[in-house]
Amino acid sequence: MIFVKIIIRTSSAKWLKKINTKYSPNAQYTLQLLHLLSDNSNDIIFQKKQTSEGFVTIIYSSSLVEKMTLQAVVLVPLSHSIYQIYQTAEPIHFKQIAALEQKINAGNTILYFHETQQYLALDTYSAPIRAITNTEIESTVIGPQDSFTESLETNISLIRRRIRSHLLKNESMYLSSNKQYQVSIMYIDNIVNKKLLRKLKKRLQHVNPTSLLDTAMLKQLIEDNPFSPFPQYYMSVRPDTIAHYLLDGRIALLINNSQTVIVCPTSFFEMFTSIEDYYNRWTTATLLRSLRFFGFFLTIMITPTYISALTFHPDLLPYELLLNLQESRSKVPFPPLFEVLFIELIIEVLREAGSRMPAKVGQTIGIVGGIVIGTAAVEAGLISNILIVLVATSALLSFLPPTFIMSNTSRLVRYFFIIAAGCFGLFGQMLVFVWLFIHLLRIRSLGEPYMAPFIPRKWTDLLNSVIRFPMAFLKHRMGISKSQKS
Amino acid sequence: MRSTQKKVLTKVHVLFLVQSCLIGTGILQLPQKLSSMGYSQAFMPILFSIIATITLWPMILLNSKFPTNNLFQINEILLGKIIGKFFNFLLVLLFTIICIDSISSYMLLIQSTALPEQTITLPVICFLALLVYLVRGGIFAIARFSILTFFITIPMVLFTKWAIQKGEFSHFFPLFNFTFQEFYEATKNGYLSFLGYELILFYYPFIIQQKSAFKYATIGIWISGVLMLITTGVSVMYFSEWQLSNIEFAVLNIFKAGEYSFIERIDIIGMTLWIFLVYSTVALYLWAANEGFKSLILAKSQIHLYILVIAIFIALIIPLSQHLKEKIFTINNYVFYLLLLWPIFLSIIYFFRKKQVQQ
Repeated sequence: MIFVKIIIRTSSAKWLKKINTKYSPNAQYTLQLLHLLSDNSNDIIFQKKQTSEGFVTIIYSSSLVEKMTLQAVVLVPLSHSIYQIYQTAEPIHFKQIAALEQKINAGNTILYFHETQQYLALDTYSAPIRAITNTEIESTVIGPQDSFTESLETNISLIRRRIRSHLLKNESMYLSSNKQYQVSIMYIDNIVNKKLLRKLKKRLQHVNPTSLLDTAMLKQLIEDNPFSPFPQYYMSVRPDTIAHYLLDGRIALLINNSQTVIVCPTSFFEMFTSIEDYYNRWTTATLLRSLRFFGFFLTIMITPTYISALTFHPDLLPYELLLNLQESRSKVPFPPLFEVLFIELIIEVLREAGSRMPAKVGQTIGIVGGIVIGTAAVEAGLISNILIVLVATSALLSFLPPTFIMSNTSRLVRYFFIIAAGCFGLFGQMLVFVWLFIHLLRIRSLGEPYMAPFIPRKWTDLLNSVIRFPMAFLKHRMGISKSQKS
Repeated sequence: MRSTQKKVLTKVHVLFLVQSCLIGTGILQLPQKLSSMGYSQAFMPILFSIIATITLWPMILLNSKFPTNNLFQINEILLGKIIGKFFNFLLVLLFTIICIDSISSYMLLIQSTALPEQTITLPVICFLALLVYLVRGGIFAIARFSILTFFITIPMVLFTKWAIQKGEFSHFFPLFNFTFQEFYEATKNGYLSFLGYELILFYYPFIIQQKSAFKYATIGIWISGVLMLITTGVSVMYFSEWQLSNIEFAVLNIFKAGEYSFIERIDIIGMTLWIFLVYSTVALYLWAANEGFKSLILAKSQIHLYILVIAIFIALIIPLSQHLKEKIFTINNYVFYLLLLWPIFLSIIYFFRKKQVQQ
């Protein structure tokens, strides 16, 4: 006992963390250890109170527990109906110091009864949370406007509101050994493919992140091909989108403190679909889908084709058009490759700067940047005005996919095409095009082909591909779900 | 020796594997190869499709006797290890040369029209690097690539619109206006463009529904046959007889007939887009060569593929005379005709050694 006292008085908190629980021979020393472990945390409150049961020490984190909650759940029952506390609290053994610490950091309040030397934990987590607001990332004109928040419970409730079934399951698991990161796996029990579910759980079990601040980070850890530029899981902040995919037999992954939810497995094609497609009429939806899908291929081809045509294949274009292009480039001293790279990089810089700045300044940057590029750069002879039109169109097309990560990918892939066009012209473009397709055919999403439904898992998938058939025809779940009931 | 393969190919995969491998680069030169028959060549693809369907039958019959073995393994089972391995070596050589032939003819086309001021070394390296990437994905990746290839390249058929408009329908008549010698010459040269379906002998063990393999392979053959029929038909309408025998890549010249106010040379787009068809053909042959190489030595190693690709690269850049190259390719192509008869020969051996083989 003397030995433990010496350790407690002389050692640092870091060293104490390594102490085995056997060095805490009684509940009193555990309290002292907890005190010492929270030495530099001013928000960990130790409060001693006299009650009918004798002295009670209340331990909680003031940043995670609101005073009103503490009053209602702990203080009032302590003074009036202490049996209520016994009924709702979870007893913890004094030797489980790590568990006690974890409970405090999770927003629980620990009660230590000095007379009975007993530890109880009460759920008092009441950290301030953001209200449910409109989505700014995936806004739609038609349909519900609510979006997920950073609270896991709120997010689950938003999904449950849409799927009111006892078959909607929500399994929780911890990712790290210190149980810091909680993941919720949601699926519909009688639809989901159990094999895919097991595969996902297995992947999650092997993940031990050092930091996990958003599902976007988790996604990169459990993707099939982490080196690919293409996102292999769908991400959304819209509860209706997630509900749609869950009803299709997919699996949703949620983590606390993240607004985005992962859906897996998903295909390349689904990166260009939006839930709004189902709210629109089928004709309009088909038009918009086609724009998004073919827009991806146009955005990666427009500026590289400009380079190819001017550098390698001037005979590709009719004389009049070529003359226009040459006239437009008459003042430009750079070869087309550098001209395109220059303007594309400026657009990237503008986009990045605009997105990082406060909204009002960001808009100004956009306008000023646009004018500088649109007029001054052309007049200065740095770029041709035809290229401005092409780059602007290409930039707009790159923002068509509803998933922002796919927009980023399209811009990255465009650089491969630009460089290939600069090296080998149209042949180079086609080489990269071949690479693109081989790559897309080889990568998988949770083991399922990423190129579904174009390389279909079943023919009915084609009813809900680029062409969105009328709702009456969409009776089957997508093949990529491998759902129990199709 | 591996006796079982993981079955991954559906019947749709079989259809497109056959179809894409048939098209390849051969179709580009088909009208010239059939030129000895003049305008009567138009209907030759129908005859070729019939021959292909007939010769496919013994292949499937042989494969059905050994549902889990490819031809390399069947050779070893029926001919014994030493003789079997010797023939397997010849097959690997044969496939490697066909890869070299296809790549070199396509690269020659690219260099002469799309990249006239560049050496071809770097594009060839890029081409081969991608080829390795595709073949490493296995037969499943190649099959799916073949499906994609079909849908990406099929719109090129629309480019024949102008040639049909400008062509003469009367060129088709009189029908069957040729001698036997002309017919023989055309068949001998032209049927080479129709090869590729025989590779089913190697990917048959990977097919899930093996019983319907013949049906879907035949559909693949006939889709290609119809596409070749369109090509030869349009060529006959558009070109003169002299042009048919002297224009090397007639199909690309058909594209030149196209008129758009914003594009002058559609043939450049067609030619570069043709890379998909070249890949689907070459990848399948290289995959087959790689499988054969594996059956010879070190079954599980990946090094074979790299050795083969390095060999192809050296053969492509080595400064051999065009005459010698053509001679090698021609001999190689004629050996291919023997490959069509090979399943019949093996079936006879199987008939005599049935009991031994079953034991």
